[in-house]
Amino acid sequence: VADLSGQSLAHLPEEFSRLATVEQLSATVAALEGNGIVCIVAEDGEEARRLVAAQLVEGAEVFNNTSRTLESIGLAEDIEQSGRYQPLRLRLYQMDREMQEHEMRVLASSPDYVVGSVHAVTLDGSLLIASASGSQLGPMVSGAGHVVLVIGSQKIVADIDTGLRRIYEYCLPLEDDRARRAYGMPSAVNNILIINRVVQPGRVTAILVRERLGF
Amino acid sequence: MTMFEYDSRPVTPQVVLIGTRASPVAYAVRDFLTRNGRPYEWIDVDDVRARSIIAEVGDDRSLLPICVLPDGARLAPASVEQVAFGLGMLAPPLQSAYDLAIVGAGPAGLAAAVYGSSEGLATIAVEAVAPGGQAGTTSMIENYLGFPTGISGNELATRAVLQARRFGTEILVARHLARASYEGHDLKLALSDSSEFTARAVLLATGVEWRRLNVEGIDDLLGTNIFYGAGPSEAASCGNARVAIVGGGNSAGQAAVRFSKYAARVTLLVRAESLAASMSQYLLDRITHTENIDVRTCTEIVGLEGDGQLRRLVLSRTVTRDLERLETDALFICIGGTPRSADAVGIGAITDAGGYVVTGYELVEGTVPPKGWTLQRPPLPLETNLPGIFAAGDVRRGSIKRCAAAIGEGAMAVAFVHRRLEELDGG
Repeated sequence: VADLSGQSLAHLPEEFSRLATVEQLSATVAALEGNGIVCIVAEDGEEARRLVAAQLVEGAEVFNNTSRTLESIGLAEDIEQSGRYQPLRLRLYQMDREMQEHEMRVLASSPDYVVGSVHAVTLDGSLLIASASGSQLGPMVSGAGHVVLVIGSQKIVADIDTGLRRIYEYCLPLEDDRARRAYGMPSAVNNILIINRVVQPGRVTAILVRERLGF
Repeated sequence: MTMFEYDSRPVTPQVVLIGTRASPVAYAVRDFLTRNGRPYEWIDVDDVRARSIIAEVGDDRSLLPICVLPDGARLAPASVEQVAFGLGMLAPPLQSAYDLAIVGAGPAGLAAAVYGSSEGLATIAVEAVAPGGQAGTTSMIENYLGFPTGISGNELATRAVLQARRFGTEILVARHLARASYEGHDLKLALSDSSEFTARAVLLATGVEWRRLNVEGIDDLLGTNIFYGAGPSEAASCGNARVAIVGGGNSAGQAAVRFSKYAARVTLLVRAESLAASMSQYLLDRITHTENIDVRTCTEIVGLEGDGQLRRLVLSRTVTRDLERLETDALFICIGGTPRSADAVGIGAITDAGGYVVTGYELVEGTVPPKGWTLQRPPLPLETNLPGIFAAGDVRRGSIKRCAAAIGEGAMAVAFVHRRLEELDGG
């Protein structure tokens, strides 16, 4: 088994890279909808990419979370390079860390759209997201106007306990390796967000993809 | 790198610039990218990360700076024009005719763009370098209305550009006005990239450029480690450096505060006896309470010493004429402005002895209209001696040199543009 980065996953639990069955996918869609999360099923990454583009309003402030999923299907590039949106990462990156710290926090906290992924989604419709810095969690909970999540269906797990195990036993080793190579620093599960229910109709959209995306 | 940065840097390839820090061309590209809000990664030519790219392009210093664009294309040596083109920033105007053409996208020009386009005028703004003007390079404006904790110049400019574009203004960067002539009552404008369009009214909002410091040898060192302006692209690279800033106004004060966050020592060189008359009190307080800012009043630069780069400033006390040498790693010159009115003069606008564009009632001597004036009415406020061509902001004679005042003039100008358009429509 190998993930999209080509790294060997032999030592990682195989159960967490296995695609969900049709029945598991259907059950998860129904549960997410029941929990106030708009749910769309995409056949593959390419369709997911088109579905996300259809969700985003041109000219809007969009923050793309650090996500192997988004990078692998070209969504990070769509957001940062297409010119169709205001990609907040680019604005933040060129700001003066010393003089504009307040502006950076404000800007990163309340984008029109956050596009990202999750680390696990349960059969009864909960979403689990881990973060080293935690900076992307606030906007997902309430700061962002809309949250669009692209989720490979290998992330479907039985319950929250299994989801937490997926984060520690599967996602963390992979993310840690990625962070060390990309940024020269380790990753850590410093924060975990669990979304059980969304009370604002239409605010969170989950695009479940029938293929393995990200980790 | 902090956790926040870890989570907020772009994840797709950005511009990579490889060169020597002391290269004027590399500085011009860094300044252009910074002021246009285009993120880039600077890699010094001696950094190991530069080796593979240099090897690909050719190990030849004359090919520096090298620019790697997000699509992988290499420019070697890179120039501002090539980088702007490579990033798709030189798109031609979308229309052949506009109601209002604004020359200069500083605070006055951007305000006019927002008001013009929000009121339904087909509006285009042309900017020689980057939107924001001099205010756009200001690190933090703390007394701008409505921002109790302050707003940085570049954030103000970024927001204004987004606002103007949202209302439909077209903004062209990296080109300037080359020619303008009447075509009937309309103006035909030609830009430096040879693109052309017509406009029913024109607003000159070209602002000011930094006044030149008159010291022997300065031209040879510009862009190496001597810079005009607040150097927004340079602050983060001044870690542990000894920085000198010349000037006693708010721009110099804001630059001093910004550099104090990064540099080991900042020396503010001021010719006057005190900063009190020329700098806002809040900045003065900030400077007084910042340990690594040293203010030297009654001091001027009379010489530069170096070896291809500035190493020492020769300072003179204005009263005693005592000389002193100051070890300096970077010098930033913020000594006020001279009007950027060459475009205006080129099309026949009247300027005063200082080069500022004369407008409105100041053009009328008694009841005598300006030479060549063909209309029955006198020039409108902010209108130049050329009917339908207005001026606003720092380039205009009599303007108050404040960001908020320039924004006010930009808004005012649109009101008078409407009056001019009604006149043309026979209203």
